[in-house]
Amino acid sequence: MSRKLSPRAKLVLYGVMLVLCVPFVFPTWWMASSSLKPVSEVFAFPPSLLPANPTASAYEKVFELQPFGQQYFNSMYIAVVVTLGTLVVSSMAGYAFARIRFRGQNVLFLVVLTGLLIPSEVTIVPLFQMFNDWGMIDTHWPLILVPVLGAPSVLATFIMRQFFIALPGELEEAARMDGLGRFAIYWRIALPLARPALAAVAIFTFLHSWNLFLEPIVYLTTPDMFTLPQALTQYVDAYGGPMWNVQLAAASLTAFPVLAVFVFAQRQFVEGLAHTGLK
Amino acid sequence: MRKQTRIRLTALAAGSVLALTACGGGSGTASDGPVHLRMTVWSGSPEHLKLLNGIADEYRKAHPDVKSVKFDVLPLENYTTTLTTQIAGGKSPDLAWIFENSAADFVSSGALAEAKVKNAEDVLPSAKKLWEQDGKLYAYPFSTSPFGVFVNTDMLKEAGQPTPAELIEQGKWTWDEVSKLGAAVHDKSGRTGMVIRDFDYKAWDNLATYWSAWGAEAWSEDGKTCGFDKPEMVEAMTSLHKAVFEDESMLAPGTTADFFAGESAMTVTQMSRASLLEDKFKWDFVPLPSGPKGEYDVIGQAGIARLAKSAHPEEADGFLEFLTNPENSAKLGAYFPQARTSQLDPATLAKSNPKLSEQQLADVVVDGIKKGKVKPVHIGQAEINEAVRGALDPLWKKDADVEKVLRGVCTAIKPLLEQ
Amino acid sequence: MKTLERPRTPAAGRSGGGEAGRPATRRPLWTARRRDQLAGYLFIAPQLIGSVLFVLIPLGLVVWYSFHEWNVLAGTFHSVGGDNYQKLLDDPKLPGVLKSTAYFSVGLVVLNLSLALALAVLLNQKLRGSVVFRTLFFSPVVVSLVAWTIVWGFLLQKNGGINAGLDLFGIEGPNWLRSEGTSMAAVIVVQVFKNVGLNMVLFLAALQGVPRELYEAATMDGAGRWLQFWKITMPMISPTVLLTSIITVVGSLQVFAQIAVLTQGGPNSSTTVLVYYLYQQAFKFHHFGYGATLSVLLFVIVLVLTVIQWQMRKKWVFHES
Repeated sequence: MSRKLSPRAKLVLYGVMLVLCVPFVFPTWWMASSSLKPVSEVFAFPPSLLPANPTASAYEKVFELQPFGQQYFNSMYIAVVVTLGTLVVSSMAGYAFARIRFRGQNVLFLVVLTGLLIPSEVTIVPLFQMFNDWGMIDTHWPLILVPVLGAPSVLATFIMRQFFIALPGELEEAARMDGLGRFAIYWRIALPLARPALAAVAIFTFLHSWNLFLEPIVYLTTPDMFTLPQALTQYVDAYGGPMWNVQLAAASLTAFPVLAVFVFAQRQFVEGLAHTGLK
Repeated sequence: MRKQTRIRLTALAAGSVLALTACGGGSGTASDGPVHLRMTVWSGSPEHLKLLNGIADEYRKAHPDVKSVKFDVLPLENYTTTLTTQIAGGKSPDLAWIFENSAADFVSSGALAEAKVKNAEDVLPSAKKLWEQDGKLYAYPFSTSPFGVFVNTDMLKEAGQPTPAELIEQGKWTWDEVSKLGAAVHDKSGRTGMVIRDFDYKAWDNLATYWSAWGAEAWSEDGKTCGFDKPEMVEAMTSLHKAVFEDESMLAPGTTADFFAGESAMTVTQMSRASLLEDKFKWDFVPLPSGPKGEYDVIGQAGIARLAKSAHPEEADGFLEFLTNPENSAKLGAYFPQARTSQLDPATLAKSNPKLSEQQLADVVVDGIKKGKVKPVHIGQAEINEAVRGALDPLWKKDADVEKVLRGVCTAIKPLLEQ
Repeated sequence: MKTLERPRTPAAGRSGGGEAGRPATRRPLWTARRRDQLAGYLFIAPQLIGSVLFVLIPLGLVVWYSFHEWNVLAGTFHSVGGDNYQKLLDDPKLPGVLKSTAYFSVGLVVLNLSLALALAVLLNQKLRGSVVFRTLFFSPVVVSLVAWTIVWGFLLQKNGGINAGLDLFGIEGPNWLRSEGTSMAAVIVVQVFKNVGLNMVLFLAALQGVPRELYEAATMDGAGRWLQFWKITMPMISPTVLLTSIITVVGSLQVFAQIAVLTQGGPNSSTTVLVYYLYQQAFKFHHFGYGATLSVLLFVIVLVLTVIQWQMRKKWVFHES
């Protein structure tokens, strides 16, 4: 809203935002500071804001105990492939459902939508049986194929469809007059306009893949193949107790780069979305 | 890949049939292809994996047909779930660690094959009990860890209280005394007196370390009769309730206090947690306090089993036998207390528990493993656990009617016990 | 907003929600139309094949399991007809579970959407430093769930940070996670703070997309802020509201990790929601067939809710009418 705020109103708003920050920031802060504590201090109550004797040994252990670099790479490349794949699959499907008329369109859209409605716990066993039959256990295929083609990408298709429906048709019309085919219209006209929706899909998809937990622990069995959320659970001492400081160090290493990317990309992301609005 | 496995399987099956007919049931090593064994474990600890891989390497030297033995680490919290999913999905591991609390389900369902263990008579009967059915052993109890009490003697002194060691000498190491000590600590410093670790008012089976002092049990030996409404249980729980809500000597519901961070004076837990001790305060490790029923011990356990659905039953059996032979069991003993007569002396145990003195080990560990009872186990454990937890919830309030709540527990689990 | 179709036939008003599949009116362009149809099928082919392979077939199998008793450990699998469905009707725990599920979902959706919108409006005030706040509000989305729940477990203790804060105002706080009255509220709040950032960002984008001229015109007409919010902002961002509410409702019925960590469904089953219950039945209690039956129930519930929301959109979503 465009009107200028009075200084007092600004002060109040800052106050409100600062207070609101606490529940959002405190856990993140605790995670980071506890990763610098010795393990016996982690569960001290009340939780301390700063480590009494900061030590980076947990961070060394992160890399010493697991092929953490490799696991980081796994998570990263899977998330990137899944994101790119989802962008292609969902933008095409979303475009077709919104802009092309074909027989059985509504029924097929409903069929696809079912995927939106099923928690992954429900289908994990049949999916496991399938991938086992295909010899894909302990490979990254299930973690790529299912998100790109299966249930998780349906949300993306849905977002894309909603976007394309609201897109004014004149441009397409003009392109058609110029003799462009469907694919060319999609690729050269619709897709560039859809950048904001694609950005929304990208961020959803990336985070979904990045945080996936149940699937990796079921499908993957070799440490070199693990993804990050799975790797976090592996920091255990010789007596079976979790090494909390190491787990939190690994969790911090998992969270902060993504946050950094968000800081870097948010302006484009938010403003890009705003430009056309997600309609 | 898959096809090859199938062909190999068929070959293996055909081979075994031939072997059967030829030698009348002798144990022929029938496989002609390379065998890859897979075992699921829940510890990603590098020390554990190094130990296991070392034993596996030796086994492979003697058995060239076994190309590899792979130890898959599944996360502790989701261990049984993941294992079950893999079995359901048709990719059962050959061998697996099994938790104590799912022992009854695994043993009774037929998911496990009979465990071939050399010198099984060396393993204490009390340790084997959980893993036996109809006189057959279905898993090797590879880790038997007794519960004891860690004490922060500094904190007790500060509160002007005697140490448990002194009380033991006077024959007064009882739960009543514990409650007095705890209440004194709480009054003095506001800190917590006693924590039954991991109980957290949810994992109630940890309370076996408490009520056993009254001779109470969750259910009868045969698992058919509910024990919660028996007089000894009512007495034990009344005492616990008083300790929590009147004496305030025990950790209250909805709060935490970590012994190892110096936040409580005493904690009941397994000896392996000694690894968490740093030299921040003076501490001791003593047996569980006694009660009206006298002294008692409780142990926690884990087993290794060969799964019935293993694709390479013979090789897997062979490896299990090798892994648990006396020599390798001694190696396992470095991290997992072995319930074997031959290894139950303080000197052997001291090697793997550098933080504990031989005296402490003798008092708690040796006696504990010999005489210890396992925490309550039953077929359908998870469901019973859940039912008991829900029914016990009303107990953790100040004005609870203990007897009524406990009767409610029995009502809730009766149908499950009878199944 | 209307979408423009290729040759505009009277029937081609809108796509998607409209009346596809009707035989095309004969036109000289009919080959082009056919080619277009083919393009449509090709465009959706990957998604469709994926849906069949990774959603419908597994779902079909789950329905098939629901007519069986499957003991995974024992390896026994046999047909029991409709027994599992009878069990569903007779299950004494189910009404409580459904009630908890409704409480959780409604609470989560209402709180999540209103907080997300409030934050977005705050951040949209173009204050200096709002980028920093935006990042801070978003940060929990990327924080590990385990760390998140551990900290909140601390904060919600009887003697934890929340109650210490209340104590400043002379209020004695409840034992959040241990009493039946507050445990669910606590779980909802923890979940909302974790994920509200995503919806907030979507709302923020929508707010920034509202043309400024609209507000200027309204101000000229003497409309106050509050009126402007309801008459201009809300209608303009209604498509985003629809999208976020569908995502959040569907998501709320699928979340259970936090519950598993914070309360394990207790105390006294007060936080046992449907997904948690079916997970328990299938994977913890090894009643796989019954777990499958509960899955079918969950599926039907989500389906009905989504259809209702989808129908409602025509009423209140600005761009779709």
